[in-house]
Amino acid sequence: MNKPENRVDKIVSDLLKGRRLKLRGGDAEEKAAITMAARLAAARQGGPQRMNPAFRKRLAQALESAPKEPWMTRRAALVAGVGLAATAVAGGIVGRALELTHAPTRLAGGPVNPIPGKWVDVAALADLAEGQGKRVTAGGVGAFLFRRGETVTAVTSICTHLPCELWWNGGAGLLDCSCHPASFTPEGKSTDPTYPLPTLNQVQVRVTTAGRVEVLGTA
Amino acid sequence: MTLDRPPDQQEVGPENVLQLPATARAADIALDELELVYAFIYARVGNRADAEDLTQQVAMKAIPRLREGSAASAIRGYLFATARSVLGGFWSTRLGLSEAELHEDLAMAVPQAPPSEARADTVQAILAQLSDNYRRVLELRFLHGYSLKEVAADMNSTVGAVKVMQLRALRAAAKVQVEL
Repeated sequence: MNKPENRVDKIVSDLLKGRRLKLRGGDAEEKAAITMAARLAAARQGGPQRMNPAFRKRLAQALESAPKEPWMTRRAALVAGVGLAATAVAGGIVGRALELTHAPTRLAGGPVNPIPGKWVDVAALADLAEGQGKRVTAGGVGAFLFRRGETVTAVTSICTHLPCELWWNGGAGLLDCSCHPASFTPEGKSTDPTYPLPTLNQVQVRVTTAGRVEVLGTA
Repeated sequence: MTLDRPPDQQEVGPENVLQLPATARAADIALDELELVYAFIYARVGNRADAEDLTQQVAMKAIPRLREGSAASAIRGYLFATARSVLGGFWSTRLGLSEAELHEDLAMAVPQAPPSEARADTVQAILAQLSDNYRRVLELRFLHGYSLKEVAADMNSTVGAVKVMQLRALRAAAKVQVEL
């Protein structure tokens, strides 16, 4: 039987070893204890923490290499659906963006069919919280799982606007793009009524009789 | 029209002369501000990997604003608003905490600049309000990095009892935090 003190101590031990917060269920008091533990673990390091130099460098590169939005219209950026070379001149970018409007890329909302595909065990059904997105990886396929009762659906973890990883914003109940203010419902529909983005590709998922969740991914 | 510009800027086209210095300056300001964001987030999640992930999310979400070449104060405001939203999402996903359950200080408080300087004091203030045993177990475990076994030896107790005391002390500390 996993008692609360054991669960919380596992989290404390991980924090003190510098590991990520891996949290499990618990009552409100247990959750409060865990957030307190995170604060105490941070205080252990003394004053304000600074970024690791390697991380700061990565961040600087990410800031530098992201597409230069002010040089193109929002509409052009949305229809292009791809990152554009930052050094290109403004006219070239818009021209290229418009050409790409007609370029077939992938079927919006269609299923991801990896060849050869492989059903990969990614989670237990019991581990999925109702209505909460869970990020999983099946070989080369990244997906967010959503449980509704005994059924599970999955969409790709890659945004249809810029090829960036989405993240689950539990507060809003949406998948948010990490590169741009774009959001999707758990069904993969874009939430922007003005400039709707293509629907996220569905990822094939099944639940086994043993209660395991499998995603069609790659070896 | 480029006579007064330094030689390095005369090499590039006029449209870039207007953009690049502003972008470079914005990126520098952004990195310095992101240091504050990182400290703010780290002080709440207590580990580097999560703090880096969340800081990167904040940076990526803020890129369009950063490019506008806004003043540092405006950038800071936007970054911290984004940081609070990202932290809210983090706690919600990892703990299943709803926005309503999130304690103000976890994600919603507007940080002072520079943030977290009073961090250690805040923790000391929280610890000071606990009973001797609770304070001792948290100090030894978190501030001195003792293992459960070492704490048990120090306190003439057992590992099992220390584990229970640790949970109770953390719960008690969380309640103190609300009242601060």
